[in-house]
Amino acid sequence: MGIAATPRAQARIDRLDRIWEEHRGLVGWLTTTDHKRIGILYFFTSLTFFATGGVEALLMRTQLLAPDKHVLGPDAFNQAFTMHGVTMIFLFVIPMATGAFGNYLIPLMIGARDMAFPRMNAVSYWIYLASGIFIYVSVVIGNAPDAGWFDYVPLASREFSPSSGIDFYALGLMFNGIATTATAINFIVTIFKLRAPGMSLNRMPLFCYAFLAVSFALIFALPPLTAALGFLELDRRLGFHFYDVAHGGDSLLWQHLFWIFGHPEVYIIVLPAFGIATSIIPTFVRRKMVAFPLVALAEILVAFIGFGVWAHHMFAVGLATVTTVYYAAASLIIVIPSGIQLFAWITTIVTGTPRFKTPLLWIVGFIVYFVFGGLSGITFAVIPFDQQLTDTYYVVAHFHFVIFGAAVFPILGGMYYWFPKVTGRMYDETAGKVSFWLTFAGTAITFFPMHIVGFLGMPRRQYTYAPDLGWSALNLIESLGAYLLAAGLLLVVANLAVSYFKGEPAGNDPFGGDTLEWSTTSPPPHYNYAVIPKVTSPYAMWDREDREEDARKLDRGELTLERGHETAASTVLDADWDEVLEMPSHSWSPVMVALSLSLVFAMLLLGHWVTAGVFTGLVALVIFGWHMKEPQEA
Amino acid sequence: MSEVTRSTEATSAVAAAYAARRRQSQPTGWWGMALFVATEATLFGTVIATYFYLRFKSAQWPAPGVEPPDVALPLCLAAALVATSVPMLLAARAASGGRRAAAVRLILLALLVQGGYLAVQVILFKRDLGDFSPRDSAYGSIYFTMLGLHHAHVVVGMLLSLGIVVKLLGGLTNYRVIGVSAVALYWYVMGALAVLVVLTQLSPSL
Repeated sequence: MGIAATPRAQARIDRLDRIWEEHRGLVGWLTTTDHKRIGILYFFTSLTFFATGGVEALLMRTQLLAPDKHVLGPDAFNQAFTMHGVTMIFLFVIPMATGAFGNYLIPLMIGARDMAFPRMNAVSYWIYLASGIFIYVSVVIGNAPDAGWFDYVPLASREFSPSSGIDFYALGLMFNGIATTATAINFIVTIFKLRAPGMSLNRMPLFCYAFLAVSFALIFALPPLTAALGFLELDRRLGFHFYDVAHGGDSLLWQHLFWIFGHPEVYIIVLPAFGIATSIIPTFVRRKMVAFPLVALAEILVAFIGFGVWAHHMFAVGLATVTTVYYAAASLIIVIPSGIQLFAWITTIVTGTPRFKTPLLWIVGFIVYFVFGGLSGITFAVIPFDQQLTDTYYVVAHFHFVIFGAAVFPILGGMYYWFPKVTGRMYDETAGKVSFWLTFAGTAITFFPMHIVGFLGMPRRQYTYAPDLGWSALNLIESLGAYLLAAGLLLVVANLAVSYFKGEPAGNDPFGGDTLEWSTTSPPPHYNYAVIPKVTSPYAMWDREDREEDARKLDRGELTLERGHETAASTVLDADWDEVLEMPSHSWSPVMVALSLSLVFAMLLLGHWVTAGVFTGLVALVIFGWHMKEPQEA
Repeated sequence: MSEVTRSTEATSAVAAAYAARRRQSQPTGWWGMALFVATEATLFGTVIATYFYLRFKSAQWPAPGVEPPDVALPLCLAAALVATSVPMLLAARAASGGRRAAAVRLILLALLVQGGYLAVQVILFKRDLGDFSPRDSAYGSIYFTMLGLHHAHVVVGMLLSLGIVVKLLGGLTNYRVIGVSAVALYWYVMGALAVLVVLTQLSPSL
């Protein structure tokens, strides 16, 4: 709170510390329901998968460094690009953005003490971890999926991919989808119901709007993927015919279902990045976001329109002209909400007084690459152009600018920005800037030449190329860029790791941040806030009087909710204070649910259907046992 | 300040009813279930869309050698399942009014009908499997997958009902009042989905 607490206030803080204390050591981590600890678990797990996916990328770039190399054979190369895509999308970007950033920050930003369903939050993490291990078992046994991350049939059908790699992929992603769906539901209910009394929807930070949009997109985008994967497994394992043209099925059905998920997925990846950008920009330019309501609406509109454009991934498969023209037009419409946000960010920076510290640098890099990737994206809406360049390196260039430049840059900027809040220590500013410039340059050098080799006709997913095709120099540059990029990323990790031990103490609010999380201590206590904060604008931390009022309320014992694991629940739109909720505390049930569900999926993979059914019963029993204990009995 | 209830501390029928009456907006548990059924409904939407996608790509539907489905019995069954929404609605009202015994009886009544529905559906499913196989054609694949998916959701719903009944036998709390309303919501949506599924299933005969 900045001011020294009075003895009365200190007594309340001590009492809350006692109430919210968790188990120590490993047991504490296994049974935790604290959204911040779960966020940290998500962070380290997804960072590990990021490193794994990065190694796969470097292996591919080393293989393509020069013509006719044999670092990876053709089979290993197929496995490497498949696992690279699956890992980066499902095991790194989504869990890092939603699981780590969303989990840690959303309750803090809305002035709550935990997520709406703390135990389900833990279930999400443990299922995510289990599904990641499940998918990577395929690599350990040398049977990794090799049909690309979008796994088109008939290549992925039993006839052409008889090994179990595809089954690991299909079951692993279904398993993973359970975790993501649970997280999305949790975010929506948390944002709807647990906002501090007074934080009506128009006073909610833009970060939360972005996560609300992502969560809704996930809830409606994942079922088509689950259905597609289910049909694939039924075809492969039980001899059904969803995708089998010879028996009345249709192989394009897979592409439709996959991209009905896959295109919203692009926005699911990018929207959290937008949310991070709208948090970092106001802090470092010392002004509120331009066009707040328009940006909030644009975030939601992007997620919505994203559901109507999937067939632009399928212009080359021979759909009717009317269909392709519709999807081309719909794809162009997305430019409007994206443009609104883009101009809002730029105007905010230009009309403010920017301090180009490391986090803001990453956001500027993000804006540059988002424009770049966005512009090359528009070219795909030109159907004849798309048909020429589909499945070439031009596509690879485009989506890496979008996914790496536009989605991962803000994640890296966000790591620097919230590092002082999470650890209580400052990162090193010089090393931070160097890491940014290395990564920025590495990204351009790696991915820009891919546009050109794409024009020159180099197809993607090829494990090597002949020396006389004129692609050699550009490929060499790309590979060197990839090493530079890796060096930049290693420096980010090294900076944060060293700063964790040696960094200067950061204090509560080192940057003059705009949202509530900066009002509590760094790192925040288990209960986040000793007083449920008063909120009168989306830039709550800049409302000095409200924050001073919080300190006085702590002294008076108003809204301290110190009878147990309590937090306030409010109405959805106006955030009128509705009731006091008792939140569940530490529990073994989440780990047990994930373990028993792992057994189900392992048995499905092995084809022991009856045993899988028995384990499903076990899952039901565990869930029932979990609900035997109600929050107030804790 | 004092007008806000510490609703999770409500562990008696009277206190739980009071908390339910004072609440201005739907509780977190209801929202959780609403979003869960939204994602499940999307799953059914995808499966039904797949049915029609495959149908419009096929020259003959149902597949050659397969009889069009009977209409009367599946429609009656779907109507019975939809009807169980009424006792579930009344059970949710009874629970939030503090009338525990009535809530238990109404959920058990609904469970009885749902159990009968499921039993007949399983018999029909087996009979269909004797006539044609999901391994013969895409028609069989989507037919049995769609029905199997819905039956599985009915089983899950029955487990939810059973679970909440067991909890209600131990008394009424705020937590359980919300539980009943969430389970009821699940059944309303399953009823609506049953109508969509049965109309899709019967569409070749209509």
